[in-house]
Amino acid sequence: MSENAFEPKIIAFMCNWCTYGAADLAGVSRLQYPPNIRPIRIMCSATVSPHYILRAFQEGADGILVGG
Amino acid sequence: MCGEDGNFEVKAIRYPRYIDMEKCIACGLCAEKCPKKVVDEFELGLAQRKAAYVKYAQAVPLKYTIDPKNCIYLIKGKCRVCEKFCPAGAVNFHDTPKEFIIKVGAIILASGCEVYDPATHDIFGYGRSPNILTSLEFERILSSSGPFGGNLVCPSDKREPQKIAWLQCVGSRDEHPGAKGYCSSVCCTYAIKEAMLAKEHSKGPLDAAIFYMDVRTHGKGFERYYNRGMDEYGIRFIKSRVTRIIPLEDSDKQLIRYIDNTGGRLEEAFDMVVLSVGLGVSKQAINLASKLGIELDRNNFVVTSSFEPVRTSRQGVYVCGNFESPKDIPQSVIEASAAAGVAASRLAEARWTMTKIQKTPEQIDVHDEPPRIGVFICRCGTNIAGVVDVPAVVAYAKTLPYVVHADENMFSCSQDTQDHMTRLVKEKGLNRLVVSACTPKTHEPLFQETLTNAGINKYLFEMANIRNQCAWVHSQTPREATEKAKELTRMAVAKVTLHHPLTELELEMNPRALVIGGGIAGMTAAWKLAEQGYFTYLIEKNGSLGGHARQLQETWRSEDVQKNLSKLIDAIRSNNKIEVHLNTRVKAVDGFVGNFKTIIEKDGQEEVLVHGVTIIASGAAEFKPDQYLYGRDPRVMTGLELDQRLIENTLFLKREIESVVFIQCVGSRIPKRPYCSKVCCTHSLKNALKLKELNPAMDVFILYRDMRSYGLREDLYRQARGKGIHILRYDFDRGLEVETVKESLRIRFTDTSLRRKMEIRPDLLILATAIVAPKENPLARLYKVALNDDGFFVEAHVKLRPVDCATDGIFICGLAHAPKPIDESIAQAQAAAARAATYLAKDSIRVGGVVSHIDSTCCSGCKGCINVCPYGAIFFDDENRRAAVNPALCKGCGACAAACPSEAAVLMGFSKDQLYAQIKSAIVA
Repeated sequence: MSENAFEPKIIAFMCNWCTYGAADLAGVSRLQYPPNIRPIRIMCSATVSPHYILRAFQEGADGILVGG
Repeated sequence: MCGEDGNFEVKAIRYPRYIDMEKCIACGLCAEKCPKKVVDEFELGLAQRKAAYVKYAQAVPLKYTIDPKNCIYLIKGKCRVCEKFCPAGAVNFHDTPKEFIIKVGAIILASGCEVYDPATHDIFGYGRSPNILTSLEFERILSSSGPFGGNLVCPSDKREPQKIAWLQCVGSRDEHPGAKGYCSSVCCTYAIKEAMLAKEHSKGPLDAAIFYMDVRTHGKGFERYYNRGMDEYGIRFIKSRVTRIIPLEDSDKQLIRYIDNTGGRLEEAFDMVVLSVGLGVSKQAINLASKLGIELDRNNFVVTSSFEPVRTSRQGVYVCGNFESPKDIPQSVIEASAAAGVAASRLAEARWTMTKIQKTPEQIDVHDEPPRIGVFICRCGTNIAGVVDVPAVVAYAKTLPYVVHADENMFSCSQDTQDHMTRLVKEKGLNRLVVSACTPKTHEPLFQETLTNAGINKYLFEMANIRNQCAWVHSQTPREATEKAKELTRMAVAKVTLHHPLTELELEMNPRALVIGGGIAGMTAAWKLAEQGYFTYLIEKNGSLGGHARQLQETWRSEDVQKNLSKLIDAIRSNNKIEVHLNTRVKAVDGFVGNFKTIIEKDGQEEVLVHGVTIIASGAAEFKPDQYLYGRDPRVMTGLELDQRLIENTLFLKREIESVVFIQCVGSRIPKRPYCSKVCCTHSLKNALKLKELNPAMDVFILYRDMRSYGLREDLYRQARGKGIHILRYDFDRGLEVETVKESLRIRFTDTSLRRKMEIRPDLLILATAIVAPKENPLARLYKVALNDDGFFVEAHVKLRPVDCATDGIFICGLAHAPKPIDESIAQAQAAAARAATYLAKDSIRVGGVVSHIDSTCCSGCKGCINVCPYGAIFFDDENRRAAVNPALCKGCGACAAACPSEAAVLMGFSKDQLYAQIKSAIVA
């Protein structure tokens, strides 16, 4: 990453039972992706309230991924 | 193997894997460095692996192995590269085969099946073009962890195919040498699935065609799936016999020559051809059976009976899955539970005789102490440390609020590190821990155990995933990976700071069961529970036990239903652990798993039954149609009514019968009822053969849409054709008329092969009518369990939990779940009893931990949470007008927390404050 280029911060809400496991598997398979994602493990995507998403934007997140 | 039922001794050999499973950390370095490439069996030859390998990325436990047939060192005595690079010292070339003896009371065979090898038959062209594949190979192509990363491509040149054909019944329903005469039962549905997935994976428009004889989507929900495949996905279904597949050299396409429904010879070229290969028994399984002295049938499947579907010919040895007959995942899982349950019944006396109880130290109360956090950063050999600057992360962790200790470990999961952590907790008075290492999915329980052993509540813990989700996936950008590892650690520290100790409660388990429904499924479930030693109430709404089985003469395997039914009723009646209530209905239900209170009503009297689990086996009914002169002409009757006359021997009393017509799918597979009733094709074939046996001169016709004599039932279809029974496919869209013409019955329909109007004037018309769920089913409401669109009960998971309801402690079996024949109802009842026993065997159940809690001072009583809870775990306290969570039923999904407008509902350990802290610390340093 160059110093000046825009690097987004992405908050990823990941369901423990699917997306989180898939992200682990991506590691086992050594898939490579940009280091911009900050994963937050949740127990079900149904628990992601709009408040979490708004709060993340408020705090300065550039993107949000909900995986479930 | 030697010994006998209840006391077997099995000698087994464990082959060497040359990697110590205790030491292997699954970093994959051995496979990366191994110089030897070999064909990957798991990818069916479509990819290569190394001689040091893991079979597939999702393997559990995730431990590597060395293949001695290909390892250069083990063959030639030189190399040992893996040993040199393994950071954990796990490679052990001195590993040897180890023989050991297992002493057991029962044995369950679950050795599975193998798929048919289409190379045996040259008409399929298999092996002559890389673009002619088996269905299993195609599964690998579709798989995102497969050889082409889930991209739909032709193996020959990696271009995306525009046309794919599936060929059904490859090696199944085929009496030629090398093939199997039976139906493999699963291929129609999996071909539809593959075609649908292929269309989803394809970037351009994909033409998918399935060449079939009969579409056999007989499982629960499968007919709807078939309809979706046709209507929504536009899959072409071509009823045909394929005569040859010819790889075209000039165009890299495959030419399929076939005879269509009307006998016309046609051909069409495809980019790719998928052979829907059937299932069979492997040579190893046959050897195993002969070693154990188990009887096999002519197709090498284990011989069982409809009434004891998982019992083999040898006492104490049971079978489940495809070694019994070809079947899909749900049925295999049902049989697995059934076999476990039947074995458990046999061994009921020995239960708890070999149990050891683990002792844990007293928990230290830390709830009002300020957080004192210990952070441990794992190097994981070089897995993390090779990318992430671990000392930098440690130094950073030390600057975070409330952190009183931070250091690094070579392997955080090793026993000496656990001891080190326990010591530090005591020395430094730590009351919260963070481990930045691999994934909590595999290692959270291990570290939680360390906390428990150190006297700290195990929920005062967080993991930061800096291996799988950081070092491994950002290996090219170590600087950014180090930053991310710091931030992930910071997020975990922020969250653990807000953790509270969570409590788990013990709730007493009432060891009695209630079974609702006195049919064959309900009785079997009650009997199996009683055999395991659990007192069972069996309630039946009618005045006698037996249900629909009372009207059935024989199973498809010619077993006498009435004789077996009487035996079962006697077993129920003579068992003092079963209390039967006839003419009884459920009036009201209170409580939950471990402690249900069911109020039953019998002759106007009410009684309260207290029980720990509930099995619903309330059945279904035979559809009584309002068409084809049913109910208006005595010569028209349903399949069950014919059975009744055969049992009573009253069919021929009133008149001569020279010809009989069976009409299939009456009320099934129609827009109003888009499901297959599963039993009717077999039932009609069976009864047609019975009638032929009674009078060989009789003309018997079966008018069908798709003949679904699935699995080994295909034998009946073949026999029926051999006996001269006329099996004709009618054009469903053009309809079928039944009238009375000058006192004789007249049936008119269009035959799809001849494309002509046909007319039959039979003496008797049998309607193979649907199995229908009751219009109103109060049990669903009373026990808070869901019904599907067709009125059958919904299981917790179609494949993995096929007899459990989503609500804990409630199980389903028999026709209440879906249409099915006797053997499958019995297997499911045995499975339900086995699943119920997993609760009944406990004195108490532990509840709590990561569950929701509703703060009653904030709750406005809007009931929003009750509407979204999928587990029926939230109830409404009418007195206080507040909602409350039953921790025994809560699964900790947190849907209520998201739905609550007052933020009164909180998922413990995942509170909004914790989530906000994580969000904040992810972004702001």
